[in-house]
This record gives sequence, structure tokens and C-alpha cells, in this order.
Amino acid sequence: MNSKEGKELICIVCPNGCRLNAAMGEDGQLSVTGNKCKRGEKFAQAELTNPTRSLTTTVRTSFSTMPWLPVRTDGEIPKKLIGDALKELQSVLIEKNLRCGEVVLTDLAGTGINVIAASDL
Amino acid sequence: MNKNAKTYDVTVIGGGPAGLAAAISAHEQGAHVLLIEREDRLGGVLKQCIHDGFGLLRFGEKLSGCEYATRFMHKLEETDVEVRALTFASRIEKTDEGFLLSLIQSSGFEQVKSKSLVLATGCRERTARQVAIHGTRPAGVLTAGSAQYYINILGQLPGKNCVILGSGDIGLIMARRLTLEGANVLGVYEAKAEPSGLMRNIYQCLVDFDIPLHLSKTVTEVHGRERLTGVTVSAVDERMNPIPGTEEYIPCDTLILSVGLIPENELAESLGVKISRATKGPECNQDYETTVPGIFSCGNALHVNDLVDYVSESGENAGRAAAAYAKSGHEHRLKSVEVKTDKNFGYIVPSHIDLPAKDSVPFFFRTSKTRGRTRVKAFMDGKEVFSKVFAGLRPPEMEKIEIEAAKLQGAGPLQFTMEVDEHEQ
Amino acid sequence: MNLKKKQQKLDARFSGSIRIEDSGEYFHLTGTASTWEEAVEAGLLCAEKGGLKHIVSDVTVPGQEKPAPILPKLTDKTLEGRTPDILIIGGGVTGCAIARELSKNKLDILLVDKEYDVALHASSRNDGMVHPGIDITPGLLKKKMNNWGNSIYDKLCSDLNVPFERTGQYLCFKKGWYLPFMTLSVPYCNMTVAGKAHVVTGSKLRKVEPDVSPEAKFALYFDGAGMVCPYGLTIALAENAIDNGAQISLDTAVLSMETEENDGKTTIKSVTTNRGVIYPKIVINAAGVFAEDIAQMAGDRFFSIHPRKGTNAILDKKARRHINTIYSLMGTQSKTGHTKGGGIVGTVDGNVLIGPDAIETIEKEDFATHKDSIQNSFEKHNHAGKWLTTGDIITYFTGIRAATYEEDFIIENGRFTSNIIHAAGIQSPGLTAAPAIGLAIEELACKMLSKQMTVEPNENFNPVRQAIVKPKEMSDEDREKLIAANPDYGIIVCRCEEVSKGEILDAMRRSLPCDTVDGIKRRVRPGMGRCQGGFCGPHVVNIIAEEKHIPLQQVRKGYEGSEILTGEKGAAQENGAEQENGAEQENGTPQEKGGGRHE
Repeated sequence: MNSKEGKELICIVCPNGCRLNAAMGEDGQLSVTGNKCKRGEKFAQAELTNPTRSLTTTVRTSFSTMPWLPVRTDGEIPKKLIGDALKELQSVLIEKNLRCGEVVLTDLAGTGINVIAASDL
Repeated sequence: MNKNAKTYDVTVIGGGPAGLAAAISAHEQGAHVLLIEREDRLGGVLKQCIHDGFGLLRFGEKLSGCEYATRFMHKLEETDVEVRALTFASRIEKTDEGFLLSLIQSSGFEQVKSKSLVLATGCRERTARQVAIHGTRPAGVLTAGSAQYYINILGQLPGKNCVILGSGDIGLIMARRLTLEGANVLGVYEAKAEPSGLMRNIYQCLVDFDIPLHLSKTVTEVHGRERLTGVTVSAVDERMNPIPGTEEYIPCDTLILSVGLIPENELAESLGVKISRATKGPECNQDYETTVPGIFSCGNALHVNDLVDYVSESGENAGRAAAAYAKSGHEHRLKSVEVKTDKNFGYIVPSHIDLPAKDSVPFFFRTSKTRGRTRVKAFMDGKEVFSKVFAGLRPPEMEKIEIEAAKLQGAGPLQFTMEVDEHEQ
Repeated sequence: MNLKKKQQKLDARFSGSIRIEDSGEYFHLTGTASTWEEAVEAGLLCAEKGGLKHIVSDVTVPGQEKPAPILPKLTDKTLEGRTPDILIIGGGVTGCAIARELSKNKLDILLVDKEYDVALHASSRNDGMVHPGIDITPGLLKKKMNNWGNSIYDKLCSDLNVPFERTGQYLCFKKGWYLPFMTLSVPYCNMTVAGKAHVVTGSKLRKVEPDVSPEAKFALYFDGAGMVCPYGLTIALAENAIDNGAQISLDTAVLSMETEENDGKTTIKSVTTNRGVIYPKIVINAAGVFAEDIAQMAGDRFFSIHPRKGTNAILDKKARRHINTIYSLMGTQSKTGHTKGGGIVGTVDGNVLIGPDAIETIEKEDFATHKDSIQNSFEKHNHAGKWLTTGDIITYFTGIRAATYEEDFIIENGRFTSNIIHAAGIQSPGLTAAPAIGLAIEELACKMLSKQMTVEPNENFNPVRQAIVKPKEMSDEDREKLIAANPDYGIIVCRCEEVSKGEILDAMRRSLPCDTVDGIKRRVRPGMGRCQGGFCGPHVVNIIAEEKHIPLQQVRKGYEGSEILTGEKGAAQENGAEQENGAEQENGTPQEKGGGRHE
């Protein structure tokens, strides 16, 4: 699987899970095959240059009825920063009631992405 | 004591995604609705599904499971649906006026009456022993759903060095979740020759973390007295029987099983509802009414879905129909038409259609095995009423098709077929 | 069969590798065998069924060592210097029945068991049948104890509030022409079994058991057969013993004994355990598969135990509609023939049990199950019930029988040691016999003790033990009252078995306390159902942690070291983060590897 043959990827944008083949042409243009929609192309581009993922986890609360609150990033963050992001979230403690969608933490791991509550608390 | 029993039009059993949707849609039809949930919070299994990817069809967004459920809960809050959490329906009896339910809750024992019922009881996980895993009974052998509950609800890790059996979506999601929370996932084993979960989950849950996927291999034995010390894995033949001589010992302290879901229908069966051998859920018509008039089924209790969007859709369908039934009983039915498939189908829902049907009738089906380009057709009285080409079909991926009700007016049965499609479109 | 003949038989079979000697009180086998099965065969070859002069076997298998007993890790001094009148070793149904019967007397009774709970070996690993004693040879001690025990069951279970159903048992026959012979055998059966035997025609049989196989042409019906929950009974006996003054010390293993010689008789002076040295007046050996080891410590080894394991499958309650009692079909066998007796049994809890098989094993505590056992049992019993399907299996378990080579019970005073009484070799029908063994040992013990003290009745003895309430079996009115008094009974934790939080807390607060998931499961059944704890498991863990004020990760499944959780999530995040970075893009490794694997 060198660059001429292209890279095999699976698009994770929707449940279709298209099998993509992404090849970088000599002109530096990316050619993607196997995608059923436009989003596959964008995904492949990112995947080859700066792969990103959304992150979901739980953070500690001070409520005994729900000691952990599910949260997620409100966008995707670089894959390589997921470790740092988790470490940052590890120290978060929620002490007030939140509604689903409210921001729990801003600028996660310096990415500019916020972390939001994924459930009411 | 049932003289003072409160009466509802529709009682929904189960407050997961199917039950939430059913309660809301029954309410929207003007029904007086009771929703019963045995846990302390609504949401069902979505409470512990913190991962995202839910609701793409319905909301066009990648929500987490909790968010998806919360959207329905917020909608429910705007209704006057009566919600009873931490309540267990221990017994349901059929009466002349409908149903009499015995409810157990910490506030006491109570009986209520309901004109119709929606069973949204979800499904349970198959366990180690139910897939013939032998050996000892140490701590550290658990289902993926239990592991998910421990991590996401209780904030606890069920193990440090984990082997996962089963490449269903829950197994894959748990592989990623365990890794992110500091456990070591040694590998995912799958008895089938191909993964059961969605391809994108293979990619983002296994490939991303360099977790190996071993196909055509299964766990046959667990070892250890107190805590799991290791598992024996064996290669399997095409019929999924372990091949002697291929045993391999994998040291680990945790075995997580994602080996199938079984619709929960004990309540339904106690009421005489006929259960389909193919789906393990009730036989039903296009309104998801079971073989017992007034009892409707939806969500994973009806058949195991892979997308929550479809679960909600079936809940809405069942809730709407239950409300209509409560209001006026059955409309005049001309006849019931059986839905049949050839053996290329894993199953199809519904199992029969009561005519006349309204608008268009959705069918959900699974293929019995992985196929390439396939044409799915439906015939009624020798006439083709449906034809569609699928680029590929896989058993783990449920497909939905719709047929206009107007086309379904024959004598029946409605026969579905699958054939290889050789023509390029 | 004299000694010479025995040796000839051995030589013919094992070409001189195994020797037999007569050491007066027993026959001693020595030498080597190539497999454990052969070592056992040697013993059985020389043994006389029911013989009082036992085989003691030291036959070894090169390269295969008898595993040492698994001991508790705990050590403390809780029992140091205790001087009980009676020390009972073993908390199975036998030991607990003995403790309970002895507690009718004003005595200091201490029962020890090396496990974390009572009934962890054979007493929780059998099919729960109360036998009429059909296939036991008359003249054996176990016949007498079986029939005696059987006759006490109704009263005992009613006193202890343990569910017991005298369902009866159908022994079905394939050949119709056997019927006249079997009719003739009825008077003989009636003389030798507990209860009565009746010949039942095929059509009558099908009135009670409509789903019995068409292969069954007629049956012998034994009305003395019944069903009990074996660990439920053991726990009830233990609780009742404690309620009446006995002490039960769990996690307590007997490690050694100090004996002294007096007038040619040996006496146990002290018993060393991991929890201190105990100085009992008399010792009762109810140690199951370890009875021989205990006898040896006491200097009273005159029998051997050869463990024999058997596996049963538990079927979903749905399968129970096919069976109302207990039935089996005579003359059916699986291909390998490793099944013994057994049948299809409808349990008191509404499940169905299939099995067991019978396999000799050197391991006394290897409770692992194997695929073959289940297959064999199904093959065999499928003849009796065509409806049997492995698809209904919810789980399976293995038990190990404590058989002597004479295949009979040993209930007697020590032969070399003056202050020990054995209840050894208690295999099937040990559950049926247990109440009788309790009474027999009580008599022996009181007689032995009366030489050194006066044994007076315990005036406060209360034979009745209150059971944990079962809300789901109550009338609606009673259940309403119960929940009103304690809302915990209205919180259903286990939906398959409909178990409330209140019952779980009750199980933890009994006179024999319990704080493990499995212990609670045996008492009030959360996790016993078809989901096998998939839903309720985490809730039970939570309740235990709350009740005991311990962190979640200290909650155990059962044994010491069987903690269910390993710690709070994210604790090893450093490690996880590294992996995450390692899984990064450079050279495209993960994609390539992963892609290659599944395509």
C-alpha cells in the first residue's frame, strides 16, 4: 500500500462505512475512490493530513445520583491530542446542574473545541 | 383493589428509545399515556451509550446515545404522559376492557388498567455460557453491556488486560472505550469469517488503536479460580465449530462478550403473544400489533436493530397504532396477508399485513449471508409489487424498504425474493 | 475375595505395578498407574462394595501430582485458644446438618470451612433431588441413611422454611413387555425404597408429563422422590445452627492436628487453622472430598476418597413447561457412556436440570465444565424428553462427589483416634441422607462427649428458622403491606427473577452473613435467571458497596481475590495516552495493519 496504489480507508462519517482508496497524485492532488458521497473525499483528505476524531467520555460530578456525566466535544479534535484531552478532562469536577448541550469546558487541550454535556444533570 | 385502579389509553412498558418514542407519539394522537421504566432514569441502554453516531437519520447530527435519549426526554417533559420510573410491571392480565397491570414500586403495590399496551422491553445480551464457553467461573467474565455500565455509569474499570469476543458494534465500541480509560485490549475475536459490526466502527475503534481483529476464531474456555487468568481461543471451521489442535492460550484478566442480543419478551409470552423464531420478537403486522389484539411491540423487543433511528421509528409507529386502538378498537379488517421470504433472507418484519393498510408499508429485513449486488423483489398473487437493487447486503446491516399500500391489495401472501443482480445500472 | 486373589486381579490388569497389603484395619494399595483412571480402577477392583474394611490407596501417577487443597490467604488469630466441645470440619450440607442437630444440646459447637461461604463444594453442585433410593443396593449404609433422611424431609424443610416439593419421580421404560415384570417388582421396591412405587401406564404417565418422549411405554412411579434447593437447605441449616448457639467460622482451613498417644489410642490435642489453634474435645470430619486428608491429620486414615465429577446444565424457566416432576428413560446412554443415572429434573425454583455425568478426576477442586459433558447428558436425556434443546441452556456447573472405593458412607467413630467421628464418603444420595446423618452423628457425638462431660439439652433450641421474605410469592395485599413497611421491597433489582433490593439487603443481614455477589445469588437469586446477572450484576455490586461502606472495587464475586472491578476508570490514563499517540498516522501503520487483518 504505497502512495501510488493509495491508502485503504474506511469513511467514518456515516454508518455506510464506505471503503475508500485515497491516492496522492504526482501533482499533489488527492484522488479518492469508493465514496458514495462528497463527505468521503473530505474525510480522506483529513485522514491523510491531520486525522481528527470527536471524543466522548464521562467527567466526575459531585452528585451521588449521577456520579459521572457523559460529555462530548462539539467538534473534532486532532487524533494525536486525544491523550492530552482525556488527561485534561480527568481533573474536571461538575458541581452544578447542567442541561444537555451546555458547555463543560472550553478550548479542550488548546484545540479551540469545547466540551459539552451530553445529558441533563 | 383494582376497583380504584387508574385507567390509561396506552401503557408503554420500557423507557428506552422505543418506549420514549411510543409514549410521545401515542400522546400526540390524544391518548392518555402511562410510561413505565424499571430503572431510576429514562433512556434505557442509551444512558450508558456515551459514544456518538446516533441520530444521523433522524436529526442529521452525530449525537451521543445519551443526547439522543435526552432529546426525546425533553419532548416527553412537554407532554402530560405519566412517567413511573423505578417501577416494575410484575404481572399483566388480559381483561374484558383491556389489560390489568400489577406494578411494583417503592411507593407500594399498585394496579392500573390500560386499553392497549406497547411492549418496549428491549433486549438482553447473550452470555458466555449461552455460547458454549466452558471452564471455570472466575470474576472478569462479563458482557459488553455490563462492562459499559461499569465504566460509563459507575466510572469503574472491569479489568486491565481484556480480550473481547464478538465484533458486534458494542464489542468494538467497548474496545475503544476500555483503551481510552486505560485498559489494555489484547484483541477482538470473531467466530464468523467477517466482522459483525459496522465497518466504520472497525476503523475508528480498532484500527485507530492498533487493536487486532482475529476472524474465524473464538474463545472456547476460560481459566482461573478467583479472577480470570486467561482464555483458550481456537480457530473455527465454516460451521463455527472449534478446530482441534488450533487452541491457543491468551493470558488476560477480563473477557468481554459481545455475542448477540436477544429480544426480551417474557412479558409478551406471558400474555400469549406468538414469538417469531426468526426474530425472537413477536410476530406482528405493519402497525407492530402482535398476535394478541391491543398489544403492540417495538424497538429491540420486536427485533434487534442496528440503528436507534429505526428503533424510534418503530416506537412511534406502535405508539400511534396503540392510541388508535385504544380510541376505537380495530378498524374493519378485510384480511390478513402473510409476509414470506425465500431462504436468502435472515428475517423480515412485519410477519403479516392486515389489510387495508395505509400509505406505504415499511419493511425491515436482514440478509442471511453477505451478498454482492442483489435485487430484492416482492410479489403478490404472481404480480411484482416491488423491485430494488442493493449494491451489497451484510447480515449485520438491517435494510429498510417501503411498498405503497395501494399495491398490497391482493389475496396474498406477499412473497419476497433475493437474486443476484448481474446488470449494472 | 482374599488378599491373594486381589493381588492376582491387580497383576492381571496392571502387570505387577500395583501392590496390595493388608494392614489390619484396611487394605493398602501402593505402586504406580499410568493414568488416574487406572489408579481408580485398581482401587475399585479390590474394593468390596459396602465393605467395612476399606481400600486406602497411595497409588500414584508419575508426572501427575494430587493438587494440594486451595487454602484461604487470610491469616489471623480469631480462633486462637478456642476450646469448643465439638469442632465440625466442613460446611457442606452434612456438616451444617450435624451442627444444627447438635445445637439441640447445650454444647459449644464450632464449625469451620475453608471457603468464604457454606455449601461451596458438592452441596451447591448437585441436582437437588431427594431420592427414594431406587438404585442403592440394600444393606449399604447409604440405603439406610437415604431412606431415613428422606422420611425427615417434610418436617425439616417446614421447620426451616425451605421450599421442598415431593413431586415423585418417573422411571420410564422403552419396552412395553417389561411391564409385567416391573409390576412384580413393586412389592420388593416398596420394601426397599422411601415411599411407595407404582406402575404407571403410558397414558397415565402422559397425563402428568405430556411431553415425555414417545419412547416411554410405561413407567415406575416413586412417590418418595422430591426436590429441594441444596444450597438453600445448607444455608438454612447453618443459620438455624447459629440461631441456636453454634458458631460458624468461614475462610478457616484446618492445616494440621497435634495428636497424643494414650493407652495405645490416639487423641487429637489441638487443631491448627489459619485463624489460630483450636483445642476441641471432639472433632467431626465432614470435609467432603478432603475427608481423607482430615482423617490422616488425625492419625485415623482408614479409607480413601476418589473424587468423581459430574456436570449439570441449567435450562431456562421456559423449558419448565415440558416437565412437572422428575423423569428419566431406562436403558439410554450417550455414545461415550460417561453418564450415570441422572434425569431431567424440574427444580423448586422453576428451572430444569439435565445431567449429571460421572468422570473420575485427581482434582478435588476443579469445577471447570467441558463441552463433552453437556453433549453427553443431552444425548442421553434427549431420549426421555425430545423437547430438550441446548438452546435453552442458561448455564452449567460441575460438582465433585466424595466417593470411597467401597461406594458407601462412613458414619462412625475413629478407628485409631479416640475423639474423632467421621461423616465421610458422603456422595449421592448425601443430600437426601443429610438430615439423618445429622441425627446419627449427634447421637455418636453426645455419647462420646458424655465420657468427659454431661450433655444437657439446649432448652432454648428453636427448630424453626424464618426464611427471607419472598415478595413475589405473596398475595397482592401482603406485598402492598410489606412495601409500605419497607420501600426497598418495592425496588426490583433483578428482573429475570423479580428480586427486590430489600431481599438482597436481607441476605446480607442474616445470622450467617454474606457479602459477595455469588453468596447473595445463592440466597435470593439475583443473577440466577436468563440474563445471568447482565442487568442486575452492577446493581448488586452497588448495593453491597453501600451496605458495607466499601469502595466498589472491593466487592467480590465470591472467593477472596475475585473482585469484580479493578479500579476507577482513567487511573491508567498515562498508558492509554501513549497508546493513543502510538496509534498515530506516521508511516500509516495502523490503517495498513488493521486493513490487512479483516480483508
